[in-house]
Amino acid sequence: MSTPEYEHGELVSLEESRDPLWFKRAVFYEVLIRGFADSNGDGTGDIRGLTEKLDYLQWLGVDCVWLLPIYESPLRDGGYDISDFMKVLPEFGDLGDFVHLVDEAHKRGMRIIADLVMNHSSDQHPWFQASRSDPDGPYGDYYVWSDSDEPYSEARIIFVDTEKSNWTWDPVREQFYWHRFFSHQPDLNYENPAVQSEMIDVLKFWLDLGIDGFRLDAVPYLFEELGHNGENHPKTHEFLKRVRREVDALYPDRVMLCEANQWPDDVVEYFGEDGDECQMAFHFPLMPRLFMAVRRESRYPISEILATTPAIPKNCQWGIFLRNHDELTLEMVTDDERDYMYAEYAKDPRMKSNVGIARRLAPLLENSRDQIELFTGLLLSLPGSPVLYYGDEIGMGDNIYLGDRDGVRTPMQWSADRNAGFSKADPQQLYLPTILDPVYGYQALNVESQMRSSSSLLHWTRKMLAVRKQHPVFGMGDYQELGTSNPSVLAFVREFGDDKVLCVNNLSRFPQPVELDLRRFEGMVPVELTGLVHFPKVGELPYLLSLPGHGFMWFGLQPGDHP
Amino acid sequence: MSELEDVLREWLPSQRWYGGKGRVVTAVRVEHEERLSGGEDVRHTLLRVTDEDGQTERYQVLLGHRSGEVEQRLRNAVVGEVDGRTLYDAAHDPEAVGTLLQLLAEGRSLSRLSFTSTAELDPTLSPRVMGAEQSNTSVVYGEDYILKLFRRIQPGLNPDLELTRALAEGGSPYVAAPLGWLEGEVDGQTTTLALLQAFQHNSTEGWAMATASVRDLFAEADLHADEVGGDFAAESERLGQATAEVHLLLREVLPSETADADESARTGRQLHERLDAAIAVAPDLEPHAAALRAAYDQLATRSDPVPVQRIHGDYHLGQVLRTEHGWVLLDFEGEPARSLAERTALMSPLRDVAGMLRSYDYAARHLLAERGGDSQLAYRANEWAERNRQAFCDGYARAAGTDPRDEAVLLRAFELDKAVYEVVYEVRNRPAWLPIPMGSIERLASR
Repeated sequence: MSTPEYEHGELVSLEESRDPLWFKRAVFYEVLIRGFADSNGDGTGDIRGLTEKLDYLQWLGVDCVWLLPIYESPLRDGGYDISDFMKVLPEFGDLGDFVHLVDEAHKRGMRIIADLVMNHSSDQHPWFQASRSDPDGPYGDYYVWSDSDEPYSEARIIFVDTEKSNWTWDPVREQFYWHRFFSHQPDLNYENPAVQSEMIDVLKFWLDLGIDGFRLDAVPYLFEELGHNGENHPKTHEFLKRVRREVDALYPDRVMLCEANQWPDDVVEYFGEDGDECQMAFHFPLMPRLFMAVRRESRYPISEILATTPAIPKNCQWGIFLRNHDELTLEMVTDDERDYMYAEYAKDPRMKSNVGIARRLAPLLENSRDQIELFTGLLLSLPGSPVLYYGDEIGMGDNIYLGDRDGVRTPMQWSADRNAGFSKADPQQLYLPTILDPVYGYQALNVESQMRSSSSLLHWTRKMLAVRKQHPVFGMGDYQELGTSNPSVLAFVREFGDDKVLCVNNLSRFPQPVELDLRRFEGMVPVELTGLVHFPKVGELPYLLSLPGHGFMWFGLQPGDHP
Repeated sequence: MSELEDVLREWLPSQRWYGGKGRVVTAVRVEHEERLSGGEDVRHTLLRVTDEDGQTERYQVLLGHRSGEVEQRLRNAVVGEVDGRTLYDAAHDPEAVGTLLQLLAEGRSLSRLSFTSTAELDPTLSPRVMGAEQSNTSVVYGEDYILKLFRRIQPGLNPDLELTRALAEGGSPYVAAPLGWLEGEVDGQTTTLALLQAFQHNSTEGWAMATASVRDLFAEADLHADEVGGDFAAESERLGQATAEVHLLLREVLPSETADADESARTGRQLHERLDAAIAVAPDLEPHAAALRAAYDQLATRSDPVPVQRIHGDYHLGQVLRTEHGWVLLDFEGEPARSLAERTALMSPLRDVAGMLRSYDYAARHLLAERGGDSQLAYRANEWAERNRQAFCDGYARAAGTDPRDEAVLLRAFELDKAVYEVVYEVRNRPAWLPIPMGSIERLASR
């Protein structure tokens, strides 16, 4: 089996460049450890496998790797049911492997963040076992127990398909316990100061091992109260502020990304009033609107959502993405009578099935290279830190027969070798089969072959990440949309001091002209960022550009040489 | 005529906003002239223009007077030379239109002109003259305001100001709030000369949105209008809703009444008369005259009372803007060719609905006109128009509480009347597009 050779980047120490706002400039890359690289040939990816691929990620231009849960777990909910917060799932490796991964990433100037579930544990967690068997013992109050299943009835049931109630009877303790998710995931009792301290200790444990931050899962649900719907409780915000204070005091450049699958107006509360809670949160409604805008050949789905997105504190950042590991159901954004989305999607069943369900980027865009590039260009230039999903940089396909979630979690395609170069195990032993179809199959579509071809999507993606890196404005800058009379063209300016970038995107499949009002930049010269070609100077008349179908261009706006 | 009036007589007919297309101007008289500021010599000038048919109209011009040559960028705006001075249309001069904003911001009154603002204005914003339009010239200041300088002037309050203001004060999100206006005395009446409104940053005309959708449909070989990505129906539905809400508010804040059967008869007569005049210009209409008249008679003889109110009056996809916050309706002037009395008369709001429904037909078919006959495309164009017309009516019905389609007789008569008007317009201006309204008349009349 051959391993592609990556040119080695410089080894730099993060210690010398402590920057508390690094996450605003970073490109994130979401990795499923299970699906990335298998170092020991057991058919399942592991931490050592990922560590071996760090050179690749550095070569690509990734700044931060985001890991899904790595903790010990009975795996009844994809690892979001944690049975020991301080242990690594054995099939992924051990704590030593993790420390090694973090060290090796840091040597390459990259960072590692991981998912952590704050709201609940697995019912297999020793805390829960102790709590149910010894109500008066030290763990008796670690969970939310009740003699009745009546309280907190205002809290909605999230998994309506499987759960009848947020309370489940425990025959051992002979009481009901509270759970907002599955009944095997009892909610921790945050009213108990010991639980708060215990979970902060969990965070510190991983921070001491060098982790650069967390995506905090299911944070809106930490506190319950009678008469309250159990989401976004003020005490939850108080607790997050405390977590942030304690983390910042000891570890000044770590990031907390909040998972609150809600409308931006509500999510901003998790940044705190002065940016004193989580530094990052995902912008959920942007993603479906990108797809809608290109399908409609109209910029308004995007313009609208960005115009109504509230401002966020300076030290905070949205995380934006095209695809990720999860199904992103539209219910999350339409719940609140978002009639716009509802009207658009209800009329277009194809949109509904495509955006709601986990498909990978390439198959979703019918493998159109132009569209993949346009979407990636938007991801890299709209306000927020982009999160790439593993495999999308080579245009990997999915396997819809594996079901909604597993379909996009197949092994990373490294080469044309056995098991796509992912594992030396027998093919039957793999955690999921590799993709074999004639278009997306690993024999043709893999990292190794795309490294060899300079026109590949992989090289293109790497180039764009490099361009983005040269212009901090993409991460730090203001965003202002330029109105144009052509509804199919989305044009905007990003500004960060003298760093000014103009981005023009044709959302239509047809070539389009556009006239831009650039009077504010009169006398400046637009320089196309990938080829550094100088375009005509901006004058007082509207600036005319033509774009090919699904084309986009980025320009740096430079001072003109002549008056 | 003075030398100045002579120069203007030559210059006027070539202006886009000159209403007497094709008719020679026989006389121009300067009715009133007033210098705007102490800097450049720019004079607000009101002209009384008589054409070869003996019709008189009033036009408003900002005339710049320069002793020497004008700068390069104003060359296209030059009107002519008088007494060795260069005259130019100062609506294209950033300095002159900047002065207008200044005067509005200060709320100044000159001898016959009065400037009013309803909001604190920033007079330093830099102006940009937009392309000329049919009846006015627009100037955008910064990205905040747009000034519409009416060119053809009819004495009295301009319905655009009247309705936009009433709607904005009624809290409607569907209009651009008026920020100020310019008035002057014409024929002893206070007359609206210009209107300043909030500029809709990042907006697009409904026409451009709709035709992008049609283009997308035509590019698909085998998908129907409800299957293609560029589907416009959800936008149409929201537009219908916005239209209905504007109608409801207009009915609430401005006069309205319920017209009786006599009114239906009068409307019917009016439609017949308009058809008579149209056939004289476009004999192609003759074969359809019987069907058209039958439709009008159905309207004329209905006995149900018809609610009438102030309406937009010239409603189509070019009069609506898609903004970041939804649809905004523009230009409540009514059909520019009609008299002020006609434009301010109470009418059935279904006329606006009919206007927009006609516009969907145009949007669907104008690409066909460019491509020549293709029955497959024609079928698809029809499908698109039908889908969006229904969606518009759905949205309208939901907000209004009454479905315009329930008033089939009225709607059909108004649509036909609109199509007849379009036939005349196309015969005069764009013969290549004539098949669009003719085709619609054929389809509607055969129903």
